[in-house]
Amino acid sequence: MNKKIKQNIAFFVFRLFSLLIVGVLISILGFIAINGIQVIDWEFLTTAPKEGMTEGGIFPAIVGTFYLVVGSLIFAVPLGVMSAIYTVEYAGNGRIVRFIRMMTNNLASIPSIVFGLFGMALFVNKLGFGDSIIAGSLTLGLLTLPIIIRTSEEALKAVPESYRTGSYALGAGKLQTIRKVILPSAMPNILTGIILSVGRVSGETAPILFTVAAYFLPSLPDSIFSQAMALPYHLYVLATSGTDVEASRPIAYGTALVLIMIVLFFNLLAAFLRQRLNKKLKQH
Amino acid sequence: MIETKNINFYYGDFHAIKNISMKMEPNTVTAFIGPSGCGKSTFLRLFNRMNDLINNTRLEGECLIKSKNIYDKSIDVDELRKDVGMVFQKPNPFPKSIFENVAYGLKVNGVKDKKFIAQKVEESLMAAALWDEVKDKLHKSAFELSGGQQQRLCIARALAVAPSVLLMDEPASALDPISTSKIEELIHQLKSNYTIVIVTHNMQQAARVSDKTGFFMMGELVEYSDTKKMFLNPDKETTQNYITGRFG
Repeated sequence: MNKKIKQNIAFFVFRLFSLLIVGVLISILGFIAINGIQVIDWEFLTTAPKEGMTEGGIFPAIVGTFYLVVGSLIFAVPLGVMSAIYTVEYAGNGRIVRFIRMMTNNLASIPSIVFGLFGMALFVNKLGFGDSIIAGSLTLGLLTLPIIIRTSEEALKAVPESYRTGSYALGAGKLQTIRKVILPSAMPNILTGIILSVGRVSGETAPILFTVAAYFLPSLPDSIFSQAMALPYHLYVLATSGTDVEASRPIAYGTALVLIMIVLFFNLLAAFLRQRLNKKLKQH
Repeated sequence: MIETKNINFYYGDFHAIKNISMKMEPNTVTAFIGPSGCGKSTFLRLFNRMNDLINNTRLEGECLIKSKNIYDKSIDVDELRKDVGMVFQKPNPFPKSIFENVAYGLKVNGVKDKKFIAQKVEESLMAAALWDEVKDKLHKSAFELSGGQQQRLCIARALAVAPSVLLMDEPASALDPISTSKIEELIHQLKSNYTIVIVTHNMQQAARVSDKTGFFMMGELVEYSDTKKMFLNPDKETTQNYITGRFG
């Protein structure tokens, strides 16, 4: 077999495999979309489940997921960004920082169900929050911390050193330099980390299983100490342990589609914000 | 204005500055010349304690500015850097508007009066010979300016906090000839109000802008005298060889 034929075969195989991956993604999305789109209408998005979850909508689960996303970000963004500022701007490259970095990486590799168990032990039981939005948000926040820390660190490292020296040379202190020059420059990239974590938070099931998720709630949560429904868990319930799994099937697909759309929406929103900030940074 | 007494400076084990004592008079321009790695930039950065930002360095000797040892424990480094401004090799404006770049030094030093800031910004841009070119676009990004304009913006930024000394670390090395001549012209004008120390690779530039010149080699100050004498009739043969381009 000559060289040319071998080459052509190799190219064909490589291309086939990469197309295969695209194909898998498209078929998942297509499958969900085709099956889910039938049940989605205004009522589906704005009403609570009815008739043992075989009819009605998923409004409480949408609201619950929204609360959990926001709640976890309120907790994880300041904490993650501040700890990134510490490791990049203050701590140099000593043993403490290497230790912190190693631990952050380890945190990222813990299975999410373990976070759920830990969240239950600490927030639900020990701190007495019970199954609640706050316990769920904190657990999800812990889960996303490594992502936010790592991307924030990279964002801060990407800020040119000349901004720092330029600022110090004008008599600015370290904190002022960080607040007025470094953070604004790093913000678009920090937002990328937040994008990634939003995607993760809205889709995670295991961490909310023992900390917040309710099987069914007839009304919306009224405080951060209430339980809430959430899309991924609701999907799980509809698919495995509803009152009539077969009858809930279309609703399950609808829920999956809404979940994907929400993740997509958050991603687009953050990408848009990021682009605008980047533009503003260049023009302003 | 500036006086150093037996300064030795080390990066780790590397002896970068070897026992240098020199004096710089107020309202003069002093040029530091010498081959790459000779210590001239390191020496310059001692005057506003920029070397403090580098780990594992050590200093011996005294550096007096306005008769005060700037390495004394009682010295506030931020205050020192306000009084001893610096312009870097590459223009490094902040990713902010032209106005905000110049106002930055005032703001971080606690000035709140908006009228005062606006006035200072205008004065500084005028002093840096940039006002006419930017007065209609003060709120545009500093990155829209050309390299030479950006460097004059950085000079304006340094002038805004009213320093008495201006350190320039190869301020024109990244610029084209026209921008370079503008910066040199500017240095001439600024001399009446500031004490200027400039590091340069460009011998003609040193000859054009400075009153006194120091020639550095391998961490030592080989020769320091009036620029005219230095270029016409240096005392040392090494200086002669360097200036005439036999090495470096």
